[in-house]
Amino acid sequence: MNKQVETSDRKIIASKHVKLGQKNQKGQTYTDVNDIFYKAKQTPSFLTGSEVIRAAIKIASVGTSVAYPITPQSEAAALIGELYSEGYLDEYFRGESEFAVMGQCAGAAFGGHRVFTTTAGPGTLRAMENFPMWAGSRLPIQVCVTCRGINSPLSIQPDTLEMHYLLETGMLVWHAETAQDLFDFILKGFIVAEQPDVHVPIATCCDGFFVTHTKDTVELPPDDICLTPYDPYRNPQPVMDMETAPIRMMRDPFVMKSNYISYATHASWQQEIKAAVERSRKHTIPLLDGLIDEHNTDREILVVSSGTAVSQSREAIRLLEQEGIKVGLVKIKTIRPFPYEEVRQATKKAKHIFVPEFNVGGWLAREIKACIPDNERVYAGPHVAGGMTMPSEVIVDEIKKHLGMETAEAVSLG
Amino acid sequence: MSNYEVKAGPEAFLPPAAATMGNVLPDPGEAHIGGKLVPEDDAYDLAARKILAAKVPTIFPGPLVLWKWTDHVAEKAKALRELAVEAPMRLIPMADYRPKYPKIIQEYEINPNHPNLTIWHNKIDVCIFIGVHCHMANLSLKIIRGGTSCYTIAMCAMAGHEDACLSFRDADLNMIQKLTAKIKKLKSEGVESQAEPFTQFVMGPSGPLTP
Amino acid sequence: MSKEKIVLCEDLADIMPPEYQELVETATFGNQDRGWKDIGSSKELIEQHSLCAGCPESIAFRYILASLPAPEDTVFVGSTGCTSLVFPHVAVHNIHSLFGNQNAIASGLKRTLKARFPDVEKDVVVLAGDGATVDIGLDMTMQSWFRQEKFTTICFDNELYANTGGQESGLMQKGFVAKMAPNGKNFEKVRLPEIAREAGCAYVALLTVSKPNRVEQAIKNAIYVAREVGPTFVQLYTPCILEIGKQSMEGLDEMKESESIGGRFVQKEYITEEAQKLLDSIKEETKARKKAAKAKKPVNA
Repeated sequence: MNKQVETSDRKIIASKHVKLGQKNQKGQTYTDVNDIFYKAKQTPSFLTGSEVIRAAIKIASVGTSVAYPITPQSEAAALIGELYSEGYLDEYFRGESEFAVMGQCAGAAFGGHRVFTTTAGPGTLRAMENFPMWAGSRLPIQVCVTCRGINSPLSIQPDTLEMHYLLETGMLVWHAETAQDLFDFILKGFIVAEQPDVHVPIATCCDGFFVTHTKDTVELPPDDICLTPYDPYRNPQPVMDMETAPIRMMRDPFVMKSNYISYATHASWQQEIKAAVERSRKHTIPLLDGLIDEHNTDREILVVSSGTAVSQSREAIRLLEQEGIKVGLVKIKTIRPFPYEEVRQATKKAKHIFVPEFNVGGWLAREIKACIPDNERVYAGPHVAGGMTMPSEVIVDEIKKHLGMETAEAVSLG
Repeated sequence: MSNYEVKAGPEAFLPPAAATMGNVLPDPGEAHIGGKLVPEDDAYDLAARKILAAKVPTIFPGPLVLWKWTDHVAEKAKALRELAVEAPMRLIPMADYRPKYPKIIQEYEINPNHPNLTIWHNKIDVCIFIGVHCHMANLSLKIIRGGTSCYTIAMCAMAGHEDACLSFRDADLNMIQKLTAKIKKLKSEGVESQAEPFTQFVMGPSGPLTP
Repeated sequence: MSKEKIVLCEDLADIMPPEYQELVETATFGNQDRGWKDIGSSKELIEQHSLCAGCPESIAFRYILASLPAPEDTVFVGSTGCTSLVFPHVAVHNIHSLFGNQNAIASGLKRTLKARFPDVEKDVVVLAGDGATVDIGLDMTMQSWFRQEKFTTICFDNELYANTGGQESGLMQKGFVAKMAPNGKNFEKVRLPEIAREAGCAYVALLTVSKPNRVEQAIKNAIYVAREVGPTFVQLYTPCILEIGKQSMEGLDEMKESESIGGRFVQKEYITEEAQKLLDSIKEETKARKKAAKAKKPVNA
């Protein structure tokens, strides 16, 4: 890397939007994201994850949001409807399917709006063709993915398998552990995704129900300030509003004339999307205080995880500590871009790396295995799926079993 | 993390995007030379010297400076013309980004889908991108690095380009004028332009007005 | 964009490709009376195309672009197919995203442009083939009509999938033998104009592109009504001469034949009362304006 990006600044390049400091029609003052999080007074509130999404969108200066009912995101999507009716958004409506909704979001983003939507599980998969289209078209749309099982059989319960499908879409993919993460990620996500050098969509993921339907204490900035608006002209592509040169412009053109040169254009285009995702590191590191969190990573046994599996791991680590077994923790916040270097460094001293996941695929373990030396150190598990909980005792048990320690028989899996 | 140096090509069948090699864009007040971050002021000198040392230095103005879609743009266009005259440099427009049928005329235009054709045809050895939307500029810069030996300079109004050999960021009118002034100064100090003699083409509504 | 903004920077104008110099000099941006008759005397908004020689789609494109009431404030949404090979060469912003989602894109786009430019009428026009409009995209086509989205949908009906090589489509006539209909299509041509009417379109027109004045009127009607009243739909027969075994000069005859009595494309319109009122008032205004302009002209001019 030609320059180390530090977390110490806790600040990204400040907004220069002309509306900075002015008030919107609801009387909220447009405020730089650094000031919202690091200057404004934060007040604790006790909210469900869905209410947290509402609280974030209330101060996110969103132009358009399109909704479609699917558990467990319906409540949040309906709450955004209330915000629209109170005048916090310019446009809001119910689309006819996730495929259509993501197209409607794209239309709004092509036209120059900040766009937010939510989906889950089967909805994510129904919408799937749109996600690489969003990325290839450089549309910085945010979709909050409240992860749930994918059919068949039908499940409305938490399961993070759908995130695996998002990994190569060209989107930023962030994974919130808690309601607080979700609030922060939504607001910071807009700012990172909309940087002109990034300008790709972002999936802010959280585990359905565990985060969306449980109440948690969340520190919130006051709601009389809000994010600076999206500036559609700080864009790596022309906005489709007939106010931008060139007027002879197709978003996005067919480059497939049948010869080598056009294929090179297509390949370069794809590389550019990947590059844009990489560029987000520079903006994300100071805003999220690093792409990972580390606790006691000098220990020989480590748990590396993302989402609510991290919360369960924290408790498991506390239980193990009581038995004298010392375990460190790495929490991964951004899955795309993946924190390769950070994970390599954090796992340097580990002899055993456990990766608990809420899905049968074990995609996070594979990502980690692919980027660290001596990857036989990685133990992919424990895994649960289809809405099962992951009791901390199960993590304790699996760690001990793998290390050849005696385990209590009391752990009930039923 | 590799120390990837962004050099003039030809580099590879499909060169990597510099950002995926770990190259980070400059912060405000900085520029990059070959991937190394430097104070912005340091980059003018090298850019000016590269232009003066080139045989066919060329400016590729994009739609954002060719069309008078804001008042500010007209001033930028004027400053670009002054830069072209001062250096001297050729001007070849990237008028739009469409895959053109059946092909572009390489003497008079450059296209982001195959910018190498214009570089090869005119034997351009140093170029400046300005007023091209970042996504399209990055495609072009990378394709140029892949298949040609042209040294690329980006005068970007936004965050800059890792895929250029040298890139400014937040480029405004003042920065174009600064580059022109630097060239003037170097010339007054005895650095001579190595540009091959040329006549800038003039285009009319029904074709080129000069041979 | 106002017409005044479609100009080149003076200092760089003389290096611009000829087609742009011509576009700035003689295109009819900002002329509210623009129409098909400008073709030949002013710069057209379509620069070139890669359609087959004699393809009626190309002439349909030219008529439509010449008929837009305000191209300087119009954004097109297309879909995958032959039309998407033409769109990069059109001097109006346009979007291609996926196959069949054009009316979803247009819904989001129109609402956003309305919110961003409350004082400017930004026309959104969808132009897609029959596969995109009726088969893969029918859901989104109809839902945008149900929701009363205020934009115009144009369907280039060539009665098959042309760009993929001539497969059966929903708008193909019954009995036609095509790829994927090896024994002939076994159900009737989908009655899209009637579907559009029932789904809430305030103005619907079905016609061929054999007569430019008719195309111009239908397009203008559709766009005016979409501005004020609700969704509008225009279905144009643009036969794929290649796939129905015709020569490049036979497209016009094919269209004329199909629009004569008893044919599949006898011209028809469905207009709601509200839309008709609006069209009548526009007609009156235009008449009055032209009359006034004539009166103002010096006698010997």
